[in-house]
Amino acid sequence: MTGATLLELPEYAAVAPAVIMIVTALLLLVIDSISPEPGENDRLALNAVAIVGAVTALSVSAWFLVAGTGQTEGPISLFEGALVVDGMALFFSIIVSSVTVLVLLAGYDYAAGDRYQAEYQTLVFLAASGMILLGMANSFVAAFLSLELASLPSYALVAYLKHNRGSVEAGLKYFLVGALSSAVMLYGISLVYGVTGTFQFAAVAEAIADTGLVGILGVGIVMIVGGVAFKTASVPFHFWAPEAYEGAPAPVSAFISSASKAAGFVLAFRLFVTAFPIGVVEGVVDWTLLFLVLSIVTMTLGNFAAATQENVKRMLAYSSVGHAGYVLIALASVTTGSDGYALGAGMAHLLVYGFMNTGAFLFIALTEYWDVGRTFEDFNGLGWEAPVACVAMTVFMFSLAGLPLGGGFVSKYILFGAAVRSGLWWLAVIAAINSALSLYYYSRVVKAMWIDDPEGSFEIESYPVGIYAAIVIAAVVTVLLLPGFGLVSEHASAAASALV
Amino acid sequence: MIATEWYLMLSAGLFCIGLLGILMRRNALIFLMSVELMLNAANINLVAFSLQHGNLSGQVFALFGMALAAAEVAVGLGIILVLYRNFGDIDVTSPTTMRW
Repeated sequence: MTGATLLELPEYAAVAPAVIMIVTALLLLVIDSISPEPGENDRLALNAVAIVGAVTALSVSAWFLVAGTGQTEGPISLFEGALVVDGMALFFSIIVSSVTVLVLLAGYDYAAGDRYQAEYQTLVFLAASGMILLGMANSFVAAFLSLELASLPSYALVAYLKHNRGSVEAGLKYFLVGALSSAVMLYGISLVYGVTGTFQFAAVAEAIADTGLVGILGVGIVMIVGGVAFKTASVPFHFWAPEAYEGAPAPVSAFISSASKAAGFVLAFRLFVTAFPIGVVEGVVDWTLLFLVLSIVTMTLGNFAAATQENVKRMLAYSSVGHAGYVLIALASVTTGSDGYALGAGMAHLLVYGFMNTGAFLFIALTEYWDVGRTFEDFNGLGWEAPVACVAMTVFMFSLAGLPLGGGFVSKYILFGAAVRSGLWWLAVIAAINSALSLYYYSRVVKAMWIDDPEGSFEIESYPVGIYAAIVIAAVVTVLLLPGFGLVSEHASAAASALV
Repeated sequence: MIATEWYLMLSAGLFCIGLLGILMRRNALIFLMSVELMLNAANINLVAFSLQHGNLSGQVFALFGMALAAAEVAVGLGIILVLYRNFGDIDVTSPTTMRW
């Protein structure tokens, strides 16, 4: 702990963000058991505890990041190096806990009539703790355990509406692909262990340098890439994403598409920079080339598929696949001896994306709450009925498309700039073309909301406070990230440079 | 002592059987069993390599792997149960309310 200026905390306090998430999850179960009959407990108390827990985790992560925990005096290594707390871990902890706060706020209204609200919140907290730990994982054991801790509650959350066929189908498909990819990843890990004899990332890199078993190692690395691709919803393990995001309750879609994707990327960043540095494994598997191909295929597939959708939620799901493709640019741009610029750009984009994408999915949650329908046409004229939410949605859409209305513009600009900086100017061109295409389908939503005339009248009876609060906060942060981007990218590139 | 290559071949075989099961069978329970085979193939590798390298971390991870497989099955069975209640079937190809 670098507490020369602040209070002196023991080293293990650095995992506090994850611990707060786990403690809140257990606390919610305890509160729920006060009255054993489902749905009889005080909804306000449950929500208050949940939101306080998530905000505490967010504040602690932000405090640690600003105070320089694990940064000024080098990373804090815990449990024999299984976990490491540094700038990158804290940065992603902020992303995950911000998304958790927004999702829980929206859940206050969305799950209002629900009898199993405490279980829902507990699952969100357990998944969030897994995602935060994934950012801290520094050995294959810790990485795989946190990956599962993040995934298993997510499967249950997606299938949460157990009487809704869409939700169950989404949960099944998410589970099938997830179980398969985690088995593939574990097998990959076992092969890498066979070659190196260790699970610790840095030790793996050392052992790889003087090994002759390049064949087994190569297969292992490619299998691990598969596990990462699943978590980040990248090609070739993206099939679950559109189904899961469409069928799941909208706040859950927001949570999985923003927080879970960020968690997958932080694992990828740390894994490929510390365990398989490109300078060491270049002769075995050139993973920058692999990620380059995945990036192009993922963004192109995501954007083209999104352009053909009629259902707004499904369009957002494919756009989320497209954004995974953009962030993969960060990994593709890592070169031997490069600094943390590209990774920092990817991290900053994930933070901005966390707010704008969560906001967009929470807007869908709002329309589901009002029951206005799912297609673009159903949104016709909604802007005049619910102007605040629709202005926010307009901000999200244009920011996702990369127009200078929100932080999405700068983060994309820096990210594409990182590709150019690594000499991949044509990758930046492909990304820019994709981004231009994405403007088409994002602006369709805006056009429907503000320009087209409604076919019928809306029956909007109430304006739910929780969902509105979450959407407005997300929109304000998205806009503020435009002028405030410098602060984010400063922390991101410092954290990435420390890793590289 | 049996050479490590044999363990590796056994586990690769198990892994392929599991993978084929996932690709060719449509029953969700068979899917779970196939995933179990794949996870256990990885566990065999871990234990065999642990012996070869002379450190115990592989064996410990194999224990974790078993616990995780059990947790995964618990969640999976829950999802298969609601699948049966909603669709009256546990054929993984039967839910097709969403299509691209």
